[in-house]
Amino acid sequence: MTNAYLHKSIKRLLLLSLSIAFSAGVACAQDGEALFNNNCKTCHSPFEKVVGPALKGVEGRHSEDWLLKWIHNAPAMIKSGDAEAVKLYNDNGKQQMTVFTNLKEGEIKAILTYLKDVKPPVTSVAAKTDGEEGQEEGSNAWIYLIVAAIVLYLISGVLRRTQETLAHAVRKRQGIPDPAPMGRWEGFVHWARNNKKLFAVILIVLFMFGSVKAWYGLLSIGVTQGYKPEQPIKYSHKLHAGDMKISCIYCHSGAERGKTAGVPSLNVCMNCHKFVKQGPTGEKTEIAKIYKALDYDPDKGTYGSNPKPIQWARVHNLPDLAYFNHSQHFVVGKIECQTCHGPVQDSMTVAYQYSKLTMGWCIDCHRRTPVQMTSNAYYNDYHKTLLAKYGSDSLLTVERIGGTECARCHY
Amino acid sequence: MNKTYWKGVEELQNDAKFVQLKNNEFAEHLPLDEIVQEKSADITVSPRRDFLKFLGFSVAAASLAACEAPIRKTIPYLNRPEQVTPGASNWYASSYHDGYDYCAVLVKTREGRPIKVEGNTSSSVTKGGTNARIQASVLSLYDNARLRTPIANGAPVSWENMDREIAMKLQSVASANGKIRILSSTIISPSTLKVIEEFGKKYPNTKHVVYDAVSCSAMKAANKESFGVDEIPSYNFDKAEVIAAFDCDFLINWISPIEYSRQYAETRKLDSGKKTMSKHVQFESALSLTGSNADERYHVKPSMQGAVLANLYNAIASKAGATTVNAGSVGELAKAISMLADDLWTNKGKSLVVCGINNTAVQNLVNGINSLLENYGTTIDLDNHCHLRQGNDADMALLMDEMSKGEVGALLISNCNPVYTSPMGKQFGDAIKKVTCSISFADRADETAAACQYICPDHHPLESWNDAEPKLGKYSLTQPTIAPLFSTRQFAESLLMWAGSGSNYHDFIAQHWNANVLKGKSWNEVLQEGIFEGEQGASKSYKSAANLTAAADAAGRMNVAGVEMTLYEKTGVGSGVQANNPWLQELPDPVSKITWDNYLSVAPKDARDNSWKQGNIVEVKANGVSMKMPVVVQPGQMPGTCSVAVGYGRKGAGKVADGVGVNAYPFMTMVDGQLMAAAGGVQISKTVEDDVLLATTQSHHTMMGRAIVKETTLDEFVKDPTAGNERDLISVKVGKEEKKMNAQELNLWNSFEDGNHHFGMSIDLNSCIGCGTCVVACTAENNVPVVGKEEVTRSREMHWIRIDRYFSSDADPKEHESGDIKAMEIPSDNPKVVFQPVMCQHCAHAPCETVCPVIATSHSSEGMNQMIYNRCVGTRYCANNCPYKVRRFNWFRYTDNPKFDFNMNNDLGKMVLNPDVVVRARGVMEKCSLCVQRLQEGKLVAKKQGRKVKDGEINTACAQACPTQAITFGDYKDKESKLNKMWEPNGRSYHLLEELDVQPNVFYQTKVRNVKAEAHHEMSEEKKG
Repeated sequence: MTNAYLHKSIKRLLLLSLSIAFSAGVACAQDGEALFNNNCKTCHSPFEKVVGPALKGVEGRHSEDWLLKWIHNAPAMIKSGDAEAVKLYNDNGKQQMTVFTNLKEGEIKAILTYLKDVKPPVTSVAAKTDGEEGQEEGSNAWIYLIVAAIVLYLISGVLRRTQETLAHAVRKRQGIPDPAPMGRWEGFVHWARNNKKLFAVILIVLFMFGSVKAWYGLLSIGVTQGYKPEQPIKYSHKLHAGDMKISCIYCHSGAERGKTAGVPSLNVCMNCHKFVKQGPTGEKTEIAKIYKALDYDPDKGTYGSNPKPIQWARVHNLPDLAYFNHSQHFVVGKIECQTCHGPVQDSMTVAYQYSKLTMGWCIDCHRRTPVQMTSNAYYNDYHKTLLAKYGSDSLLTVERIGGTECARCHY
Repeated sequence: MNKTYWKGVEELQNDAKFVQLKNNEFAEHLPLDEIVQEKSADITVSPRRDFLKFLGFSVAAASLAACEAPIRKTIPYLNRPEQVTPGASNWYASSYHDGYDYCAVLVKTREGRPIKVEGNTSSSVTKGGTNARIQASVLSLYDNARLRTPIANGAPVSWENMDREIAMKLQSVASANGKIRILSSTIISPSTLKVIEEFGKKYPNTKHVVYDAVSCSAMKAANKESFGVDEIPSYNFDKAEVIAAFDCDFLINWISPIEYSRQYAETRKLDSGKKTMSKHVQFESALSLTGSNADERYHVKPSMQGAVLANLYNAIASKAGATTVNAGSVGELAKAISMLADDLWTNKGKSLVVCGINNTAVQNLVNGINSLLENYGTTIDLDNHCHLRQGNDADMALLMDEMSKGEVGALLISNCNPVYTSPMGKQFGDAIKKVTCSISFADRADETAAACQYICPDHHPLESWNDAEPKLGKYSLTQPTIAPLFSTRQFAESLLMWAGSGSNYHDFIAQHWNANVLKGKSWNEVLQEGIFEGEQGASKSYKSAANLTAAADAAGRMNVAGVEMTLYEKTGVGSGVQANNPWLQELPDPVSKITWDNYLSVAPKDARDNSWKQGNIVEVKANGVSMKMPVVVQPGQMPGTCSVAVGYGRKGAGKVADGVGVNAYPFMTMVDGQLMAAAGGVQISKTVEDDVLLATTQSHHTMMGRAIVKETTLDEFVKDPTAGNERDLISVKVGKEEKKMNAQELNLWNSFEDGNHHFGMSIDLNSCIGCGTCVVACTAENNVPVVGKEEVTRSREMHWIRIDRYFSSDADPKEHESGDIKAMEIPSDNPKVVFQPVMCQHCAHAPCETVCPVIATSHSSEGMNQMIYNRCVGTRYCANNCPYKVRRFNWFRYTDNPKFDFNMNNDLGKMVLNPDVVVRARGVMEKCSLCVQRLQEGKLVAKKQGRKVKDGEINTACAQACPTQAITFGDYKDKESKLNKMWEPNGRSYHLLEELDVQPNVFYQTKVRNVKAEAHHEMSEEKKG
């Protein structure tokens, strides 16, 4: 009973809202926007030519009746020899428009209304990058530290003065003359003599601290973890791999097939960016760099004769003496890209070197990671041998099949 | 068989310098002065301070440099070609022919550049084999001496201007009815021949003259006389049980050597099942590579070969009941000839007599012998003939005549260099000046091109579209594996252009193939395979119809007095086509082991009589030509004869080749209208010039006189498969008893546990012909640097694999035991020769591993001895502790160093480097890695496909390149592998220096000679007497 009542009331509500929507032009245009995005956006934009022409002001160029027919079945109109249709077809590089017999007249009208009312997006001011923000935070911290240091210094100065004044007063009362003032060094030596144990402890602690610092300092020579070079295009992995959920392999297809994952060639970019001409915030300059490199005219959709390749800054630089093969790890080892490259899809607006890429780092992983043996016939007999040797419940790591031997990577 | 081997005359004679070198392999002091770049005098003043300064500076510089990561660019394709994956290699089937060598090949490319050439196993001609020159051809592509643009009268021009000018000139020549001559080396491309035909239609007064630097034109002439077939036959060495060769180096240079060496090796493979092999008898004066491999080898002067063949003919004719011919006396060779005749006659139809002498009469005699032996239709196929070496000496002589008379209007020279290669080169160069329009298609401004008005540089074969028909009905295609590097154009394309044909050469070939060759098969399929082989016609029997009496008389008249000289081609430089290739220049000659030079080889007896010493400069006069060159005392050279290699002494080939050696082509003699690679009446006189040090690789890496090549005869092998493979036992005192024990039983070491694989290699010494293909293949695969002549003289060559050559003698074993090498001195006039390829033996108990202070060399679970360059600090302890002397030290930085101005000193030459193998730095040790990069790649392919590695799927560069399949690579863990089957410790298999018990993963198979033990013994007795 209640259920039926609920149903009814929902239906009523829906009807009510629909009637409101239809009565209001804005609501209609929004509906049109959704329809436009679902059906037309692949080939059209309101403000620029994609595959088909820019559609803002289309209602002025053709009559509504004609447009309704055209959108329903453009090829048929061209075939029938409609002069307007043929001209349009010829003007747009003889690209046939898709048939939209599924769209109702009302829906087409909604799209047209949307096109009439749509306003060009305002280009937003480029947001500050993470790096800059981080730097600012860092400088704040420094200021606090400096202030704290000054305060401490002042307090210690005041305390010393107080102590000296008090000692002077005591001596004066007892009639002992003040000792001759000591120089700083003499004072330090005097103090050290009187506090031998404490001095030794401080010395040892300082020495150990210094050694540890020096050791890690030396170890970090040539380690470029966190290396984040400036790139010629502000390409965001977060946007593409995270928000847009594009698979890593779509662009870095070499990871499946060969040694290097590879930086995608520009024709791969153009698979999408032939149509996607602006970023989510309406930003266009970065995508335009692809067009410039390819000497591509986005309005006409034609390629020029003077392309210039993009020179990316290489983020991951292994020395020549180490051989690394992506497909070995990705296909055979079934290692996720993120294991070495970090949370690319979550936070890398600018690509950086996530891992250390040192030999110790490689070896550590080889000591931990089990080999994918069960699903690979290559290891069939060997798997049995290893299980017999190490026990059936043991972890057959890469190390146990010789994966830490020198000539697996160095040759 | 108690034989003593020595590595060269120096060792035999215990030359003082040799002993010093032997005991002090790394004789040089540390090249500190070169590191510091200061005069050595300064170093002695304050070395310690300077050292500290340098130390401090370099530490500071290193840490500073390391702090900042330099920005490295990565530049992706704008539009990646579909088939290119950066970091993965692509293979293309193609074929290589440079007028001299033919081979069906597979070309490995990385990111669009060819880096390695391998044999195409689909070809029934070359069967996947290659030779050193084929292996090196990929480097010739990146030769800096190649022309960048067309040249007209010494100045670069555009192709448009060139075409306009040449079209005009050709037109004017044609309208004046002047002669147009196309001069080329042998063209085996049916399409190019068709293009020449088309060109001839446009310019009817055109004639195509074929000229080969090393000619076989007498064979064609003789075949015409004998059988009415003006062709070079195909030979089936694999069907021959007795092979007699007369001055014929068929294993590396004669007509189609890759094909023949494979066939030859097939007849000489032995295992527990097959216990028969062919018998090979060689008659020659200079010790050729083929002669080195012969079971029996006899000394004959070039001019006496006619008489020897006439005697052989008579011996066989008397058995066959045919009429005999007049034959001169051959002295003590009579017995050898009659023995050979017996063998040949008993193997009638399964024998083969070949002769490399370019003389019609001699070749007629050879045809007569083969005809009596009924070899036509079995071992010789005259119906499915060979298209290589089509040069016609008479045509060439006629052309010279026409040119000097000024009758030739236009001369188009493609792929040959007569100014350099012809004995009349100078006259030819002068005659070119009389030609109205002279055009060369050379890829560089070589000797002939420099004399021509126009140079229209041709593509390298790896940049070209082409086809080939090396034998009737056996086609292969050439496809470009890289876009032309320079503004060059193919010869055929230029001709098509000038003939006014609209089509390009690729379309022309496709059209020609679709119409005449493919018979409905798809062009793309054939292109992918690289090979198209139709059905062969029947091979018929032929009877010689030549006047053999006249031939024998003519051959007999060849005999001349005095010292005689033969000219030969080396395995590396060959006829000199690829002379500017540093890999080939650095490849040691298989017999003399000398690199970077040619020289006069003389017999040890002659050297003693005339007191010539190795390295003396002598003046050699013959044919009215006089030249100065160094002497090499060569065991095996017949007394009273000498020999020189051609292909050297270039002017205009490029930086590498120019000025290396002397040009010996002018010594060639015109006899009966044919060019003979020999000269008579040679005068040799010692000059007062300083001796030169020849860059030889033979006087070091000594095995200290130990017998490391095991050898037996076929008879003994049939009786006992372990013959010659006796184990070296070690005397041990057990308690009070003295016991002889196997080294393995006295093992101190723990054995290694195998991983998923245990890789190893087998080397069949009976199949190895010593050609050096593996050396060049290894150089190409592993980025082995070229070090140059000077460094080779200091024993610093970098080859990871070497071929040891040992001369043998039949010394008394008792004298051997006395330990005095001099006591073993016996005449070394005609020694037996063995070749042994030696690379890192990948010992399980490697002596090098235990002495490395930084563990830069260690053992892998897959059986390899690993060398880690980035860990090596260069103590060289490992090299000193290696019993096989296979480790090489990088004394210098060989890249970007003007002192080593070879391919690694320029960007173009560096394109050949294999990106999967590191280029080693100065101060580190290196050695054979068992092509670990190939093993890793092969394993990865199997893993990705989820299957086991198939036997034969992975191969090392040396094994893959070997034309005779002497090297077998495999996995001991794979029970069915060929390698496991070859390991017959109770047969021919043995480890090198087994008594050391270093347990190598490489093993050898004993050498077996097909000689009767008694006859062999008898012969050596005779020699002693």
